[in-house]
Amino acid sequence: MVALEEEARRVTLATLAEIAQTGVDTIRGGQRLREDLGMDSLQSLELLSTIGEALKIDLDIEEAMGIQTVDDACAFVTRKYKEQKADGGPVRG
Amino acid sequence: MAAPCVDSVRRDDGELVDLLIPSIRRFLATEVDGSAIDENSRIPESVRVGVAELGLFGMTVPETFGGAGFSLWDACRVIAEFGRVDRSVGIMLGLHAGLGSRGLIEWGSPEFQAVWLPRIAAGECITAFGATEAGAGSDLMAIRTTGRAIEGTQNLRIDGEKSYVTNGGFANLFTLLVRTPGIGGDRGHSLVCVPAGTPGISIGKEEHKLGIRGSSTVTVAFENVVVPMSNVLGRPGEGMELAYKLLAWGRTLMSAGCAGAAQGALDATVQYVGERKQFGRTIGDFAATRAHVAWMASRTHAMRALIQETAESQARGESIEVASAVAKVFCSEGAFEACDRAIQLHGAVGFLESTGVARALRDCRITRIFEGANDVLLLRIGAATLGVRRELDVSCLPALRESADRVRAFDALLHREMTDLRKRLGVMAVRRQLVLQRVARAEICARAAAAAISRARDTEKDISLARHGSTALIEEGAVWLSELGRAERDEASASELSAMIYGS
Repeated sequence: MVALEEEARRVTLATLAEIAQTGVDTIRGGQRLREDLGMDSLQSLELLSTIGEALKIDLDIEEAMGIQTVDDACAFVTRKYKEQKADGGPVRG
Repeated sequence: MAAPCVDSVRRDDGELVDLLIPSIRRFLATEVDGSAIDENSRIPESVRVGVAELGLFGMTVPETFGGAGFSLWDACRVIAEFGRVDRSVGIMLGLHAGLGSRGLIEWGSPEFQAVWLPRIAAGECITAFGATEAGAGSDLMAIRTTGRAIEGTQNLRIDGEKSYVTNGGFANLFTLLVRTPGIGGDRGHSLVCVPAGTPGISIGKEEHKLGIRGSSTVTVAFENVVVPMSNVLGRPGEGMELAYKLLAWGRTLMSAGCAGAAQGALDATVQYVGERKQFGRTIGDFAATRAHVAWMASRTHAMRALIQETAESQARGESIEVASAVAKVFCSEGAFEACDRAIQLHGAVGFLESTGVARALRDCRITRIFEGANDVLLLRIGAATLGVRRELDVSCLPALRESADRVRAFDALLHREMTDLRKRLGVMAVRRQLVLQRVARAEICARAAAAAISRARDTEKDISLARHGSTALIEEGAVWLSELGRAERDEASASELSAMIYGS
């Protein structure tokens, strides 16, 4: 389980850094996607769709729209990753 | 240049704007020659002075600073009047009251407000806004203009260049969206006010444009421009968030200009089709003409209704990011089509510049592009429709009950489609641009139809406008929903074909 969490967080932060055009080491958990990283709603969804593709998981769009911080994104992705791995894989992807 | 009209009358909400509109109409009829402004590609100084004397540059400035304290809706009513007659002047004023000065009014430091707001209220200061850059249009994250703190001082040094700056040729004060690395976060952006006289600013030559030729559009370069940190609006580093709020306010005002333009096109058309005779009858008697006129009138009613809903929502403190985008797309496209229909009904004479409808069409074209290109806004609206459930308010007069029920039925259908799409696509919907755009168009139709009904006054004409307009909008919305199923095929087909075209 720890390995899954670590992988979900690693993929989330790496993708975030790539989309925000910055280094992974500059990303902080409390940073807000919009205010601090300058990402609008579409870019936030792009981020999550790329993460979903990389981890081969489904991510719900309504929950995704509610994500505000880097920590929110990591927690959301980790939860979905663990749930779907436990269920034997994604519905899509 | 005091503000006599605005300052001399106390009022309840909306009362002052009612009193002011006859003066604005007189001013527009006697002092504003849209054709000459277009031909000369400039707004005469006398027009700017006239706008200032009416107190309109200060219309949204709080009364404590000498302004009129107009609400967004009040300001929209004023901008619609200008849009009806001349978009160049309307956009000069709308940009000033929106993106140019709103940030300072909302988030300026007390000391900065104390210096500039009285000047704006007195009509001595016109404002401009700079966000777009050569490499950053709809993608604001690509902004490169940077503000850096100067060590050991309370100052900020700005370097970069802003493109397509409306009012830039004569503005006294700029509000800029700049990157501010190290201020409020490594990746932060800030909104910062820069007085035009600050050393290091150079203004480019006026752009030659398809429309709104009288409005000033220039590139502004900033090289080693130093301003006090107190010129930053709001909290340093939160500029992107504030810019989105500012854009929502600006888009609502721009939508009002579009509604005004559509009204102007309708007025010109009604007069022309009532005079022009063919086959022994005025062309306004023909059913095909009446269908165009009914479309123009009912669409203009829906535009006004949607703008009012948006402005009132803002006044209640609600976010209008999506609502203003909906209004902007609906009104800019509706105004362009209204002008196009006006030209068609004028026949060959409509193609001549002397009629004025040709200029109106040219002037409208830019509104589908600036303050957020419609193509991108449609993606945002589509994503929001899928991602955030909303209730559609369709309150109505008894005479419109049946129309309201039809809108509710369409909205229920839209909800079912969204539920299905959420399940099927999840966040991957963001990769399906045609799906998002079609979802957005259906959503726009639902909101516009609901607004047209909810905002109808108890008059025979308003009820007919709402009934006719909402029916057409629901039918359009249903077409967009039916097109959703074909989006995948259309995307694949266009992708295959464009690959061949790009490769050839």
